[in-house]
Amino acid sequence: MSRSEYRSTVLQSLKTMLIAGKYGLERWSYVLQRISGVVVALYFIAHVLETGNFIGGITVWSVPDYSFAEKAYEETVKLLKNPLFDVGLAVVGFLVTFHTINGIRLILAHFGFFLGKPRRPEPFEPPVSFSTRQRALFWLSISLAVFALLYALDSLMRVFRT
Amino acid sequence: MAASVKFRVYRYRPEDGGKGFYREYEVPVKKGMTILDGLLYIKESLDPTLSIRYSCRMAICGSCGMRVNGIETLACHTQISELRRRVITVEPMKNFPVIKDLVTDMAVLFKKQRALLTWLIRRDLVEQENPTHQYIQSDEELERYLQFTYCIQCGLCYSACPVVSTFPDFYGPQPLMKMYRYFADSRDEGGKERIDLVDKFEGVWRCHFAGSCSMVCPKGVDPALAIQLLRRASLRG
Repeated sequence: MSRSEYRSTVLQSLKTMLIAGKYGLERWSYVLQRISGVVVALYFIAHVLETGNFIGGITVWSVPDYSFAEKAYEETVKLLKNPLFDVGLAVVGFLVTFHTINGIRLILAHFGFFLGKPRRPEPFEPPVSFSTRQRALFWLSISLAVFALLYALDSLMRVFRT
Repeated sequence: MAASVKFRVYRYRPEDGGKGFYREYEVPVKKGMTILDGLLYIKESLDPTLSIRYSCRMAICGSCGMRVNGIETLACHTQISELRRRVITVEPMKNFPVIKDLVTDMAVLFKKQRALLTWLIRRDLVEQENPTHQYIQSDEELERYLQFTYCIQCGLCYSACPVVSTFPDFYGPQPLMKMYRYFADSRDEGGKERIDLVDKFEGVWRCHFAGSCSMVCPKGVDPALAIQLLRRASLRG
């Protein structure tokens, strides 16, 4: 595969993965699950690195002085103390909650729960796999994720006020 | 309804190499005119070099699958008036190599179907060739797989699948659905052999339940449901 073909394939894959187009609610669920999965994984790595700094980062096994940890903590707090990181944290709260609840919906679907039974296709009837219960679970994941976002923003506002 | 619409058609000539491009055609519209009628008007009156594949013109043969305004559909089954757009973009199906213009090579779909043993498996070959009695099915047994027999193998679900786009080794919705059709048939004796074929990464476990396959199916078949039911069967062993 040539370099331009490779680039075109990667771009096409990203486009398919990130744009739901006109494919309906289930495709939006797929796109959000992809995005939230990647963001949460990146957040987890950043979080481990950030908290690991307090105890010496990669030199953790040599057990640094207390003063080193104190300095690293102060530097990290200084770096993170800006509204961008705070809002980012609220968004991470939204994504983690959505990914968890929607993930449970998908696991239940693996076991055949809330899917409905195969039946003869009828005109203008949605597919059985787009059952009311499946969609209710999707909207539940969105609702709880919005609640998590609002709760995190409210907590931040209280921090800002004090 | 507008007196004419603009068809923006994807053109690709393999002999030229390189990328495809879009060419625009002004097409007069009549009541009840389909996308296929529009393409045939272009071919007959404006540009005879346009290549399309079609046959029955009534959504039975599954030959004219393509993407119209960003979504997979049968050209003969989509009326221009229902799109309510002045510009109609027509592209070949995704996830298949393009042979020319709107014609795709669907060999990969049939190859995957064959790999998944999409036919009835009977252990007693003598009985199969010379049956001694009728194999009657109850209504319930029929309902388990009947809807999956409506598939016309047009390939729209395979084109709409985001997983096939990113991981071409995935069997895809149509072959897996077709396999479930036989797995769920009370006359079939494939059982464990079938499950072993799909109980792997490029089988049922790669599906992310995006549901696009079921959304675009022109016959109301539900491949997403078939894949989830195959998964359940894999989990239960």
